[in-house]
Amino acid sequence: MTQTEQTMSVAIPNRNQSARLENWSRAFYRFRQSWLSIIGLTIVIALIVIAVIAPWIVPYPEHVVGGTNTGAQFQPPSANAWFGTNALGQDMFSLVLVGSQVSLFSGMAVVFIAIVFGTIVGAIAGYFGGWIDEVLMRLTDLLLTIPSLILAMAVAAALGTGVWNMIIAISITWWPAYARLVRGEVIVKKEEQFVVAAHALGANWVRILGKHILPNIVSPIVIKASLDMGFAILTVASLGFVGIGVKPPTPEWGTLLSGARSYMPDYWWTAVAPGTAIFLAVLAFNLLGDGLRDVLDPKARR
Amino acid sequence: MLLYILRRLILLLPVLFGLTLLLFIVARILPGDPVGLAAGPNATPELIAQMRSELGMDLPLPVQYWNYLTGLVSGDWGMSVFTRRPVVADIMEYLPATIELVFASLLIAVVIGIPLGLLTAVHKNGALDYITRTVALGGIAMPRFFLGLLLQMAFAAWLDILPLSGRYPLIESPPDHVTGLYTLDALIAGDWYAFQVALSHLALPAIAMALSPLATIMRMMRASTIEVLQQDYVMTERALGLSNHLILFKYVLKNAMTSTLTVIGLYVSWLLGGTVLVETVFDWPGLGLYATQAILTQDFMPVIGVTLVIAIIYLITMLIVDLLYGVFNPKVRYA
Repeated sequence: MTQTEQTMSVAIPNRNQSARLENWSRAFYRFRQSWLSIIGLTIVIALIVIAVIAPWIVPYPEHVVGGTNTGAQFQPPSANAWFGTNALGQDMFSLVLVGSQVSLFSGMAVVFIAIVFGTIVGAIAGYFGGWIDEVLMRLTDLLLTIPSLILAMAVAAALGTGVWNMIIAISITWWPAYARLVRGEVIVKKEEQFVVAAHALGANWVRILGKHILPNIVSPIVIKASLDMGFAILTVASLGFVGIGVKPPTPEWGTLLSGARSYMPDYWWTAVAPGTAIFLAVLAFNLLGDGLRDVLDPKARR
Repeated sequence: MLLYILRRLILLLPVLFGLTLLLFIVARILPGDPVGLAAGPNATPELIAQMRSELGMDLPLPVQYWNYLTGLVSGDWGMSVFTRRPVVADIMEYLPATIELVFASLLIAVVIGIPLGLLTAVHKNGALDYITRTVALGGIAMPRFFLGLLLQMAFAAWLDILPLSGRYPLIESPPDHVTGLYTLDALIAGDWYAFQVALSHLALPAIAMALSPLATIMRMMRASTIEVLQQDYVMTERALGLSNHLILFKYVLKNAMTSTLTVIGLYVSWLLGGTVLVETVFDWPGLGLYATQAILTQDFMPVIGVTLVIAIIYLITMLIVDLLYGVFNPKVRYA
C-alpha cells in the first residue's frame, strides 16, 4: 500500500486528488465491475436505512412494542397488512421491519467485538512469540474445536436473556478466528524492514504494533469482517430460533420464525416473512463481502 | 504411517485435557442455578442442598474437576440434572440419530457437489455454470432452519409425500438395533419396507442441512479445478493427445480434491453443531435436540458431554482428512 502510494505520487504530479483518494476511487471502480457486489451493497444500505428509520415508518408501531389485536388473528397478506398478521393479530410487516434493528446491530457488534479482541490477542501472540504465543494460540485452538453454535447457546442461556448477553456469547466463539488471522499477518510483517527500522529508532512494542504493523494488515481483517457479517446475523437468528437471546415483545427475526413454527403450514406467511428477511440480509452481506474481497485482495479474484 | 497415526492420536490427549478444563471452567463461572431449576419453584433450600451434595456440586472446584476428569476416563460422564440419567447413556441413545443425519447430508453434499463443481469448471461460463453459481450463492445464505420449514411446508404439508418430522413412526418399532442408524439397520435386517420408512424421514432434514455444504463444496471444487486446469502439466497432457476424460479424472480431479477435502472436514464440525437447529425443526431425536434441551434447563454435564463428543469427532475427522491428503497427493509424506 505505502509503496504504490509513493510511486503514484511521483508518476502523477500536481494532482489535487490525494494518492489515498486515488486508491479508493480505483477500488470503487473495480467494485462496480461486479453487478452482484452492487446488488449486495444496495440491499445492505437499504437494510441499514430501514433499521434506523423503522420505528417511524411502520404502519402499526403499537404492535412492535407488544400491542396486540386479537380481532385480526392470522390475516393473510393483504393491502392492509402486507405480510399478513400473526397469532396475536400483530402486523408481520411492522415486526419484520423493526426486527432488522436487533439483527443488524447484533451482527455488527459481534464482528466488531471479535475484531477488537481477536486483534489484540493475535497481535500480542504474533509479535512476542515464545511462550506467550504458545499459551494464547493453544487457547484459540481449543475454542476453535468446540462447536461454536452450541457454546454460544450455552453461554447465552446461562447469562440470561437480553441483546447484550447474546452479543457477548456469540463474540466469545467468534474472536479466535480473528486472533489466528492477525497473528499470521503480524508474524510476516514484523520481519519487514520498516518494522526493524522503527525498532532501531527505539519505538516501543505498542507503537510498533499500533502505528506500523496493524495499519498494514487492515485489508485482510476487513475482508474477513465483511464475509463474516452475514454469518453473524445468521447466528443471531439461530439463537433466536432455538429460543435463546432476545425475548418478545422485542421483534427479532429468529424469534419471529420460531414463533411461527407451530402455525405451519396453514399460516405460512408468519414464517416466510422473517425467514426471507434473514435470507436477504445474509445474502446481501455475502455479496458485499465477496465484492470487497475482490477489490482489496485482487489475487483471490474468482 | 501407522506411527504417524499413533503420534497424532497421542497428541490429541493434551487437547482433550485442555478441552475438559476449559469447558469445566466455562460451565462453572457462568451464572445460573441448574439444581434450583430442576428442583422446581416449590423446592425447599434443604432439598436443593441435598440435591447439590448428591451431585457432588458442594465440593471445592478443583476437587469437582478432579472427580469429573477421573469419571470421564472411567466412562462416567456425570449425571444429567434434567433427565436424571447418566450423560453417557443419554449420548449413546441420541448419537446414532445425529451421525445418521450428518452422514446423510455430507453424502448428499459430496456426491452432488463434487461432480457439479468439476462439470461447471470444465464448462466455465456456460448456462449450467450460471445457474449453479446463482443457486450456490443463495444456498450459502439460506438459514438451515428456514429451509427446513419450507421443505416441511412443500413436501410434507402441500405435496404430502414425505413425513413432517420425527425419525420413525411412533406406533411402529424401528429395525433391530445393530448400528443405531435406522437406514443401515434396515438394510442389515433386509427389511426393505423399514428402509423406505427410515429414508423418507431422513430425506428432508438431510437436505436442509446439505444445501450449504453442497454449495460451498461445489464452489471450492470449481475454483480449484479451474486453477489446476491452467497448470503446465495439463497442457503437456493435452499436447500428448490424452483424452479430456482421462486428463480430468486421472490427473486433475486428484489435485483439485485437496483443498475441497479441507472444506469437507471443516463442515463435519459445522454440521454436528448445526444439528441443534435442524433437529429442532424436525423433532429429530439426536444430540442437537438433547443439547438444546440441556442448554435451556442449564444442565451443565450433558452440554459438556455433547460438546466433548462433537469435538472428538471433529478432531478425528481432521486426522482422517490429513491422511486422505496423502491418498490424493503422494507428495504428502507422513513422518
